[in-house]
Amino acid sequence: MAEAQVTAAAHRGGHRRGSVHAAALLVMAALIALPWIEPDKFALHVLSLIAIASIAAMGLQVLLGYSGQLSIGQAAFYGIGAYTSALLTAKLGLPFPFALIGAGIAAAIASLLMVPITRLTGAYLAVATLGFSIIVYLFIKNEEWLTGGSYGFIGIPRAELFGYVLRDPRSSYYLNVGVAAIVYFVFARIEGSRFGRAINAIRQDADAARASGIRVTLLKSECFVIAAFVAGLAGSLYAHEVRYLAPNDFTFWKSIEILIMVVIGGVGSLAGAILGAAVVVGLPEYLRAIGDYRMLVFGAILIATMLFGEGGLAALAATVGRRLYALAMRLILKPTASRKAAP
Amino acid sequence: MGALSLSQLIDLVVGGLAIGCVYSLIALGFAMIMRATNIIHFAQGEVMMLGCMCGLTSLWLLPALPLPVVIAVGMASSGLIAVGMELAVYRTLRRRRVPIMNIITATVGMSILCINAARIIWGSEPLRFPELFATTAYDFSGVRISPQLFWIMVMGVAIMGALQFFLKHTPTGLAMQAVAQDHEAAQLMGANLTRMMAYTFAISGMMAGAAGIMLGSMFFAFFEMGFITGLKGFVAATLGGLGSIAGAMLGGILFGLIETFSTVFLSSAYKDGIGMILLIAILLVLPSGLVGLWQKRR
Amino acid sequence: MSAATHGEGLLEVRGVTRRFGGLFAVDAVDLAVRRGSVHGLIGPNGAGKTTLLNLIAGVYRVSSGLLRFAAQDITRHSTAKRARAGIRRTFQNLKLFGEMTALENVAIGLHAQTHAGFFDAVLSTPRHRREERSITDRSMAVLHFVGLAGLAQARADSLAYGHRRLLEIARAIVARPALLLLDEPAAGLNVTEAAHVSDLIARIRDDGTTVVLVEHHMDVVMRVSDEITVLNYGRRLAHGTPAQIQEDPVVIEAYLGRAGETDRAQA
Repeated sequence: MAEAQVTAAAHRGGHRRGSVHAAALLVMAALIALPWIEPDKFALHVLSLIAIASIAAMGLQVLLGYSGQLSIGQAAFYGIGAYTSALLTAKLGLPFPFALIGAGIAAAIASLLMVPITRLTGAYLAVATLGFSIIVYLFIKNEEWLTGGSYGFIGIPRAELFGYVLRDPRSSYYLNVGVAAIVYFVFARIEGSRFGRAINAIRQDADAARASGIRVTLLKSECFVIAAFVAGLAGSLYAHEVRYLAPNDFTFWKSIEILIMVVIGGVGSLAGAILGAAVVVGLPEYLRAIGDYRMLVFGAILIATMLFGEGGLAALAATVGRRLYALAMRLILKPTASRKAAP
Repeated sequence: MGALSLSQLIDLVVGGLAIGCVYSLIALGFAMIMRATNIIHFAQGEVMMLGCMCGLTSLWLLPALPLPVVIAVGMASSGLIAVGMELAVYRTLRRRRVPIMNIITATVGMSILCINAARIIWGSEPLRFPELFATTAYDFSGVRISPQLFWIMVMGVAIMGALQFFLKHTPTGLAMQAVAQDHEAAQLMGANLTRMMAYTFAISGMMAGAAGIMLGSMFFAFFEMGFITGLKGFVAATLGGLGSIAGAMLGGILFGLIETFSTVFLSSAYKDGIGMILLIAILLVLPSGLVGLWQKRR
Repeated sequence: MSAATHGEGLLEVRGVTRRFGGLFAVDAVDLAVRRGSVHGLIGPNGAGKTTLLNLIAGVYRVSSGLLRFAAQDITRHSTAKRARAGIRRTFQNLKLFGEMTALENVAIGLHAQTHAGFFDAVLSTPRHRREERSITDRSMAVLHFVGLAGLAQARADSLAYGHRRLLEIARAIVARPALLLLDEPAAGLNVTEAAHVSDLIARIRDDGTTVVLVEHHMDVVMRVSDEITVLNYGRRLAHGTPAQIQEDPVVIEAYLGRAGETDRAQA
């Protein structure tokens, strides 16, 4: 009897996830309504950039937060995606949707080069990814015939879907946020799946995972490929959003930015990756008013976040949410309780 | 390319060794901090840059300062800055037992902070050092060596030798080594953990400061100079096997030589990339760096 | 799947040696484990028991010698490959996935027997849903078997020590392995808990899983083992039934001769 109940509870295990999904849907509704409330072009452009960055950050979240592999070279895959998409559309005239997928695939294929290094761990793995990203950066900078080199890549067409060119910031906003949403829901499925459990197990104890028959190197490589694929998608979206690429967009700093997004958002949390992207991309824009001091303040904020927000912004938001909920409940329940007690 | 005369070869070796000493000094800082705290100190390059800037400023104020004094100024200021970082931020983070990734991210924040502070204080133009060295080459029975490179090598080796002596033969150095190996055991034996950590940051800062003056005098002082050089120092430390003092020295010198030679024989546009390819190749054979050569034989 | 072949050799360790530097941790050891038996592995501290277990599990490679499992040479197989072939283990110093629930920990044990990958999860394919259902059911059944059913949703790092030991066993047996390697499953347990563990080991054997048991609790070893091998200084000292071992003068000498030393090491 009791056992049947527990089993049923085990099957229902996803109900907490259900409420998270409900919250995500609510956020989605707000995001859909937003351009009609705030039609400012620049604001929409920044939101697009946040959505794009959050895609790359969610990829790294799978790699670092789920499987525990530290990459400080995601800019390489981001850059490969951006330039692949630019080349496919501007030079070969392929339609945007093919270029988008092609960018993801190109980045994923490039990440296969990383397979041998997935047996490295910790800082050694980080340095190897860094090395790879520096090589990609140098390639972009030096192979002018292909990438335009330091002059940059110009003439990238606007994104276009089914013959409809996304000309105004509102429609490209929907494209970028839409892809980010798809990536979010796809990755949300990983949690609580066999694949998700296995990569989590690898992060927590690789020896025990091996002893349970998990092919550690294979799964780690899969995570690399997945993260690279979505970084490639993000690169493609970036190329068509900004329509001009320069090697300096894909330096080591970009990798570090993506890493910062994941860490200040909260390692292991998908929603955190999005929050982190919003802060890392959005904050400097808002700090523009203070000119030269803006990156100084950004650095200070980053340190302060590490000092005061242990589980990242996601944990902070959850705490705030819980407190508000408790407060609301108290406010709602108190009158009822006193009424009950009165007679 | 093509055939290389003996004197050209010597020039290359000397140039590689000199820049290698700079990398070694930075790599040493990375390795010491890594050993003691497990963190990758991404602000190490910026500590170096700030030391360089402070040294240069001291030269502006007192143009007649001899080289050793300038180096001492650079070492002292970098050491103080690194200790300041440790005491103000990293120590607190460690005490709160936050995940290591958070501390590493804080070091990135520190690096952003330093770069932008330096830009505000010293401006964004590259700054030239006054001549610190004789300009006529030294002649060692026919072999001509630039005094600048010669003295950089000598000082680099002297500083690293002093560090080795300090770590191996002084009570404080030995206590630091013990703390790096096992926090709890060392504490039980009476080592003051907080103080040893501060010493670790002080010494790694001093190494970086010396590197900063050397690098600045070879090229110029620049607010972004710490960034790529810091990365190279990190790579050199990894090449040597993170956390190994001897490995870091070796890794730095090796990295300097590789970089210098690949610029000449391969392509200067890809000079940073060739070192990286080599690094990845070495890590594939020795997943824990060069120290693996003499440690893995169990 | 087991009873029919009871008695024949399942695992054969032939002349296995493992050196660390100049030290012989395991020195030319022979061991034959019969299918359907509990094979005790005892010896003073540092005798090489855990090293031998790690060699069988594939954590270390043998320096020389041969390992045969279910009529196959597995000497060069990786840990994961051995686990997939049916060799599962527990760890002396507990290696649970602390951030996961007890149920999820056990579910990891079924990884090799299920197949849904990334795309199955993303698309929520029928295979994914079918497997998830069966994983949950089988994991719950095993938690019930070891007596942890009520704690299925508890985080592993919040469990009491004794429960964590049981959870490790549950994770190792959920895939019904042919061979189970237990590395001191009763270490740190009180008498009641240790009795529960020896009872559990007997039930695991009766369910068709062969067990190799490294254990310091002599009452546990003597109670459940069908055969015992004694190691000393990395070498095989004796082999026999529990009764034979208890009366073997060589074994008594080895234990008594180092008893004081052992006590101090354990204290």
